Amino acid sequence: MRIKDSLNTAVDNFKHGKMRSFLTMLGIVIGIASVIVLMAVGQSAQDYILGQVQGIGSNLIFIIPGGTNGKFQSPAQSQGIVITSLNQNDVDALSREPSIDAVVPLVSGQAAAVYGDNNMTVTYQGTTANFFPVRNFVVANGYPFTAADVAAYNHVTVIGSDLAKTLFGPYMNPIGKEIRLKNTTFRVVGVLESKGTGPGGVNQDDLALIPATVAQSQMLGITYFNTIFASANSQYDISFVKSRVQSVLERNHGITNSSKDDFTIETQQDILAILGSITSVMTLFLAAIASISLVVGGVGIMNIMLVSVIERTREIGLRKSVGATEGDILQQFLVESVMITFFGGVIGITIGAGVVGLVWVILTKFVGFAWTFELPISAIVIAVLVSTGVGLVFGIYPARQAARKSPIDALRYE
Amino acid sequence: MISVTNLEKTYLDDGTPTYALRGATFTINKGEFVSIVGPSGSGKSTLLHILSFLDRPTGGRYAFLGKSIDELSDKELAIIRNEKMGFVFQAFNLLSRLSVYENVEIPLFYAHDVAPSARKDRIEKAVASVGLAEKLYVEAGKLSGGQKQRVAIARALVMQPDVLFADEPTGNLDSQSGAQVMGILDDLNQKGHTIILVTHETYTAEFADRIIRIKDGKVESDLKVNAPRRGGKEFFK
Repeated sequence: MRIKDSLNTAVDNFKHGKMRSFLTMLGIVIGIASVIVLMAVGQSAQDYILGQVQGIGSNLIFIIPGGTNGKFQSPAQSQGIVITSLNQNDVDALSREPSIDAVVPLVSGQAAAVYGDNNMTVTYQGTTANFFPVRNFVVANGYPFTAADVAAYNHVTVIGSDLAKTLFGPYMNPIGKEIRLKNTTFRVVGVLESKGTGPGGVNQDDLALIPATVAQSQMLGITYFNTIFASANSQYDISFVKSRVQSVLERNHGITNSSKDDFTIETQQDILAILGSITSVMTLFLAAIASISLVVGGVGIMNIMLVSVIERTREIGLRKSVGATEGDILQQFLVESVMITFFGGVIGITIGAGVVGLVWVILTKFVGFAWTFELPISAIVIAVLVSTGVGLVFGIYPARQAARKSPIDALRYE
Repeated sequence: MISVTNLEKTYLDDGTPTYALRGATFTINKGEFVSIVGPSGSGKSTLLHILSFLDRPTGGRYAFLGKSIDELSDKELAIIRNEKMGFVFQAFNLLSRLSVYENVEIPLFYAHDVAPSARKDRIEKAVASVGLAEKLYVEAGKLSGGQKQRVAIARALVMQPDVLFADEPTGNLDSQSGAQVMGILDDLNQKGHTIILVTHETYTAEFADRIIRIKDGKVESDLKVNAPRRGGKEFFK
């Protein structure tokens, strides 16, 4: 029997039982749509997360207080333990290292920012003038504070665009105005360009950036830093720069055994790789969960095809009596099952793409995320192959049952 | 054309053997019109199923056109059924949701030597030969019993078989429709087709020029007759 004849016969049967065919393929439609949505949204989420990390700067090395002992565990700082191992000596030593372009220390705290009757609880960050170019923070109005401001303990601040709007409203120019942070007065010298949500879901537009010297001595009363960013010289390999940072800090801290380092160094590439693999695994995990519904859909198809074989027993007998071989009957039932799952797959992809588009519209238009519309070709190809494969795998048993029927027994079936 | 020697068919029913055929022996030549008659349960339908390759014997020898059934695989039997044999069943066995055209087309799906482009012509000729040319695209389920059986005959003829097997072809028909169907079979035999008919109706059997009577799985008699109903054109009046 030619495949074309099998296809025509399958189409006839499809048309004859439209509702049954639709209900049979529903499981596949839902399964494929779920896989498409989860793979596409997972891909978009991965792009979004990696984009956020890349947006921090380029060739960055993060130095965090506390060691990891070479094992996979978070630095002590992230567990709420205060580690004071990074200080100004480290910043100065790293600044002298030729493979490093710039060093940016950071301390942070929370305080109420007040101007007149307006106030807002904000995260203030004490840093140096290098922060702005290294972290890609652009001052849209005014100017960033300078190294001289930091050295002179000047009470100046650069504030985020949301904070500026909250304190000064849409019309007042914040430049030159004085705000209070934790009962200390700061003169606003700059307003940042809107930057949106940063890594970890932190709103970067309600920050107040102040000189690190002021933050340490007058706001927090500490001499250490929470984090040091180092911008690697692009002429050097990043892993070499990482090793240089480690050497400098170990020498500074008098550490001879690197397993006893009291700091943790991560490059931007390390973080991107970790996040990339985590998000990839999460996407695959979600797709694997969604594919369970494909198995359920496949079992549904097997069930309906078995019923169909029983209902059409006399037809099978007739076809065999006029010359159909076992192979012909097997082919016909397989084509029917694959056709149902193939069209189920196509409908599933269409619905999945629609849902992905809807998610994109909601996140970009209503939530304001920099979300990208991703519908990976690989997901579509996999969906078509999987749906067709489901038809083959779950159709083979009913088709074999049909093919093996003896013509005379099939003709006698009541 | 057909040679049967000591043909046996035994069914096992819960381990107990039931003998449907017990050593039937006869030959049928090309162009004959043979009626196989006998009481219910005599084994005549079993014999027809074996002769038409729908079933295999459990003993004895059956050769069709010189080939023994024992030497043929299921696939080869299917090809011979398609190319050399036509079937007319008591229950018509039409697919009611399909048109007359589509029902008659079914054997052509499995034909190896008929090009798809030649199908339409064959179908139209087969349907015209049973007088249903105007019903070509009518759904089979909407036809009368007599018309359905004529469609079944057209389906049996579309592959231009050497032999046509008919199992109680008038069993579900009124007398006028039955007469029409028998008239068609008679006509086909006049044109050279071998007809092998199973019936329990004496009236229908009398269209044949040879009657094989089966009783208890054995050939009780095998007689040439003068076919009193042959040329029964009056049934079409």
